[in-house]
Amino acid sequence: MKWNKGCMTAIAAVGAMCMALAGCGATSGSSSSSSSSSSGGKVELTYIHRLPDKAGMTTVEETVARWNKDHPNIQVKAIHFNGNASDLIKKLETDVKAGNAPDLAQAGYAELPEMFTKGIVEDVTAEASQYKKDFAAGTFDLMSIGGKTYGLPQDTGPLVYFYNKAEFDKLGIEVPKTQSELIDSAKKAAAKGKYIMSFQADEAGNMLTGLAGASGPWYQVENDAWKVDTDTKGSKAVADVYQQLLDSKAATTYPRWDPSFDSALQKGELIGTIGAAWEAPLLMDSMADKGKGDWRVAQVGDWFDNGEKTGPDGGSGVVALKGCEHKAEAMQFLDWFNTQIEDLTSQGLVVAATTGQAKTPSSWSEFYGGQDVMKEFATANSNLGDFSYIPGFSAVAAAMQNKAADVASGKAKASSIFEEAQTTSVNTLKDYGLSVAQ
Amino acid sequence: MSTITSTKPKSAGAGASRKAARAVKGANSADGKDGMSVKQNKTKQKMSAAAKREERTGWMFMLPFVLLFLLVFIFPIFYAIYSSFFQQVATGGGAYGGGELVNKFVGFENFKYVITSHDFWAGMGRVMLYTVIQVPLMIISALVLAMLLDSFIVKHVSGFRLGYFLPYAIPGVIAAIIWVYLYNGQISPIVKGLAAIGINVDFFASNMVLASMINITTWTFTGYNMLIFLSALQAIPHELYEAARIDGANGWQIATKIKLPNVRGAALLAMLLSIVGTIQLFNEPQVMQTADPGISRSYTPMMMAFNTSRGFLTPKGDGPSNAIAIVMAIIAGLLAMIYAFVERKVNEQ
Repeated sequence: MKWNKGCMTAIAAVGAMCMALAGCGATSGSSSSSSSSSSGGKVELTYIHRLPDKAGMTTVEETVARWNKDHPNIQVKAIHFNGNASDLIKKLETDVKAGNAPDLAQAGYAELPEMFTKGIVEDVTAEASQYKKDFAAGTFDLMSIGGKTYGLPQDTGPLVYFYNKAEFDKLGIEVPKTQSELIDSAKKAAAKGKYIMSFQADEAGNMLTGLAGASGPWYQVENDAWKVDTDTKGSKAVADVYQQLLDSKAATTYPRWDPSFDSALQKGELIGTIGAAWEAPLLMDSMADKGKGDWRVAQVGDWFDNGEKTGPDGGSGVVALKGCEHKAEAMQFLDWFNTQIEDLTSQGLVVAATTGQAKTPSSWSEFYGGQDVMKEFATANSNLGDFSYIPGFSAVAAAMQNKAADVASGKAKASSIFEEAQTTSVNTLKDYGLSVAQ
Repeated sequence: MSTITSTKPKSAGAGASRKAARAVKGANSADGKDGMSVKQNKTKQKMSAAAKREERTGWMFMLPFVLLFLLVFIFPIFYAIYSSFFQQVATGGGAYGGGELVNKFVGFENFKYVITSHDFWAGMGRVMLYTVIQVPLMIISALVLAMLLDSFIVKHVSGFRLGYFLPYAIPGVIAAIIWVYLYNGQISPIVKGLAAIGINVDFFASNMVLASMINITTWTFTGYNMLIFLSALQAIPHELYEAARIDGANGWQIATKIKLPNVRGAALLAMLLSIVGTIQLFNEPQVMQTADPGISRSYTPMMMAFNTSRGFLTPKGDGPSNAIAIVMAIIAGLLAMIYAFVERKVNEQ
């Protein structure tokens, strides 16, 4: 098969190929300096990000250009990472080994532990501490491991509930407050061919973890060893609710990033879904003009034994990468960049900075019926439960997704997703050579 | 294509197996094949001074290729083998480790993992099933199309030839993306059309998904293989046809008695390349996974190697990933050898 004629070259060395190149880079790279350099007092920094940079947004490059104009001695170059978000770690790992890594890189809160364990982040505790006051306390801590700080927070991803108010009114239902209300309303809507909940197998690793995490953590460190318990009260409730919804066919099972999900939104079949705050502009994109003005944002109700709390799904900060030579300047720029609230909001982020009030962009309030969406997100932000991730969480999320697909097709029970999380978490930690308390 | 047609006449018997062996090596790089035949011719000659000079010149011409070949092919293979004996673990233990991963020599641990891994063999099983169905289906369709185009039934051959070949011009990943949309239950005209006549089909159902992939591959590569066959057919001397007609053979007899035996060599090559290619099934499942999370990250051995290297599977990292790739390469090589051997035995009878 000809497609793989080129690939054939790589067959025996799939990942090894690029590793090999990284390998030889490492020897030569160690003698040369990292990509940051200073000449005549002028510091040059590189910053790799994966923000959307779409039309109508203030692009990172535009924001950075403003900084560069005012700071001739600290010149920053922004690089947009075009690959899958989840591939960035692998790239950075290789770059650090080769000695040509950028100075600053975007890193998800769930990814930082893994990046630390892999040795690709730089300790900036001394340089970053003075900026702590500019960010929500919880988020600043998410950029720390074992009391050391590795960067500054940028945005958060509290889970909220998006729904189509016009359709809800037609059905005579309201945003449910309790678990039984949720299931009753979902069944009522399903009887009319409408769905107020979605089970997204491809987002299971992040979303179900977040929902379960709203009421309590999975991963805790005791005596320098991980205590893993993914079958918490919250997990049981999440499994139970989704199992009931799926059994009574009262939730859609379209994967989140499949065109069928967008299509169900456009057709008005899916009229309510839990999503991370950063999905607000994405849902607008998905629906184009359909349902404009009808949608609203609400807090996730007490559906999963979570009380008032909600959980995290995504959200990220920017870390200094190993080999960053100008940590103070890097943090100075980063503090400035992460507090450019208006610019970051235009990218669809719910900012972690507390230096000002984030305003809801006009296109958003148009879509969400004049609602002050940002204020709703800020409330969700303050309701975030404490949840931290383990190194190697990406493997856990992947295993959960896979199980969730079986659940969606009725081949497995929802509770098996969390059983899978338990075994994969323990195996992954052991594979990294980290201690697990039994 | 030219190499195939030129070696075609001695397709039967021992020639076939030698060609097969060459095809396996040559599949890596067309240049490699040319380079080797040059060398073979050289060694036959007595070494006069002129010949030596000529040889030096030959090697000089080879040099750029040899250097790049060593750098981007041979070296990475040895590096992959080397690194497959290591695993990356955190230093210092504890909850987060000491902030660095070190390479730990683990001997044959990674290979033991691959060979005893249920996921690996399940993936291998899927790929085998896929190969057993897809390769014959595609080769036979390609052969039928080529025979039709080569017959006198079809006018405007070049139009058809281009049409059949066109899917191959679309990069594999793009083709897979296009088909993901065409398979989508919510928006696909195919699904809707079938539903309209009473056939409800879910192309992403777990028992359908392999067939959906087979369809994509067949759609893409049938035209390519047809071209191989067509050029083989067109290289058959026309005197043979004339002689057959004078002897009173009809069109069907010409097709089965003259054309088919003469494209045997091309068929062997196409089969071999196809088997080696399908074992590496990657594009289709990788792309379809975005639409169907039910396709696991170890659906095929290729995907398993890729996702192991990215840390989506445990054990993670380059060591286990390379071990998977190496075991897979050995299996693909064995299969190609078995196929060539069987083909030779069949021809000898």
